[in-house]
Amino acid sequence: MRRRTVLAMIAMVAAVAMFAAACGDDDDGGDAASTTPDGPTITLRGQDFSESVTIAEVYGQYLEAKGYDVEILTPAGFRTEAIDGLRNGDLNLIIDYIGGSQTELAPDEDTSADPAEVAAVITPLFADIGATVLDYSPAVDGDAFVVRGDTEGTTISDVADAGLKFGASSQCFERPQCFIGLTDPDVYGIEFSGRTTLEFGPLLGEALKAKEVDAVIWNTTAPQIGTEGFKVLEDDKGLFPAQNIAPIISTEVLDAYGEQLSTDLNDLSAQITTDDLLAWNTETDINKVESDEVASDWLTEKGLK
Amino acid sequence: MNLIAPLQGVSVPRNIGLWEWFSNGETWTGEGGILSSVVETLTLCAVVLAVSIAIAVPLAAVLAHHRRAELGATWILNIGRAIPTFAIAGLLVPISLTQGYGFEPWPIGIALTMLALPPIFLTTYTAVRQTDPGAVDAARAMGFTERDVLVRVELALGVGLILGGIRVAAVQVVATEPIRAFLGGEGLGRYVRDGLGQNNDSLLIGGAILVAGLATLTGLAFGALERVALPRGFRRLRQVQVQNTRTGVAR
Repeated sequence: MRRRTVLAMIAMVAAVAMFAAACGDDDDGGDAASTTPDGPTITLRGQDFSESVTIAEVYGQYLEAKGYDVEILTPAGFRTEAIDGLRNGDLNLIIDYIGGSQTELAPDEDTSADPAEVAAVITPLFADIGATVLDYSPAVDGDAFVVRGDTEGTTISDVADAGLKFGASSQCFERPQCFIGLTDPDVYGIEFSGRTTLEFGPLLGEALKAKEVDAVIWNTTAPQIGTEGFKVLEDDKGLFPAQNIAPIISTEVLDAYGEQLSTDLNDLSAQITTDDLLAWNTETDINKVESDEVASDWLTEKGLK
Repeated sequence: MNLIAPLQGVSVPRNIGLWEWFSNGETWTGEGGILSSVVETLTLCAVVLAVSIAIAVPLAAVLAHHRRAELGATWILNIGRAIPTFAIAGLLVPISLTQGYGFEPWPIGIALTMLALPPIFLTTYTAVRQTDPGAVDAARAMGFTERDVLVRVELALGVGLILGGIRVAAVQVVATEPIRAFLGGEGLGRYVRDGLGQNNDSLLIGGAILVAGLATLTGLAFGALERVALPRGFRRLRQVQVQNTRTGVAR
């Protein structure tokens, strides 16, 4: 009696194992040469704002689904902490905005609105800290000079003499690509009538709506720009750098996995669009959906998970 | 490096040393410099304290004199200790913006007032409540009106304790006021805010030193005020009381 139960259990376990193995084979998308990738744990972490958190979840869950050993850490810090993490080995994959990476690593280098040029600048700089910049995505979240919808003008130059009150995060006030460039007579030469330092995020929109400020530096994929009827003025002098997203991975980890990992990451990057970023932000910031859920839904919808 | 035009952003270089930052005259007198920031901070703190004293002292004195709200006083203590000032101010900012009152001064002012009220209220309540009953009876026997008993006996005898409460409130307000810089304002918190945002350690540490220093000075200033404000006879009485408690002689 007892022996029979044991046998039945063994049979069941075997059946389940075979079934699971069969399913596992299906996951490989018919790629004949593909096996489960074998290498070190890929550790990544979003920066502490919703879009970056979602992007990290998208990349992390995608790699997990591909069979990589992935650890997605709790979001923390901003670019500096991300690059420091890459430098000291706490993280071995970050997904950053290329123009932002350049201002961090080479603040005095001229920026460009052409992503290829920016990528060419940051690639050797990341190589110096033992990291490889993979293909940048067509998805862009750039700097946006945002005004209320009823403001006269379509370009930033149009409002140079309008005496606007300016609001931005403290980072903006120390950057040549931001406040310093906007007020520099050789670039835009805007004469602002006042300035306020605001936490980056929804508060920028609140302040703009309440007319506490008349112009803010926000990001192009902020969903509130559309919902509140704000207007993004064109950067006619090309002050803002290209801000495509790109995965940057520890060269050591990349070499351990070989060609497969860079191919997989580049495949994903190529499929993300600016509209996706905007849609993700709308989900997380307006509809209050959790980032991991948003990422999971998108990957499922694209058949990547 | 620090060329300043009107409203031109002063960008403090990241690699500046702490001493270098402090010893630069521009740091003190420039636009958004330490001196003007200290004035901004102290102005708001003074208004908040004045309002808090004007509300808390009369209210607590009258309630304590009539022995009302004994439980309420304990409640106020507990609530006052539990209120996170930053959260209150942060909640009030969007409301204030949509109502057209702007970033300042209401949200931060209200939040700081809520921080200052409990210690002032409690010390006043306790001071009046604990006045020597003998002194109160004597005053009544001499024909003092109730108002005179409260003002000339209970509050007069409690002035030391009440000033202590005000000192505690003042130090807390000055030490907390810098959160204003994180809520669309300026003041002495600006250096901590910019130090964090611009990843500038000297700015961050320098700002923290300034805030701590100003809070310490506030405590010392109010401590000195307490010593000056106490009537001489009262100070002698206090010394006698202290000696009596030490020697165990009943008053």
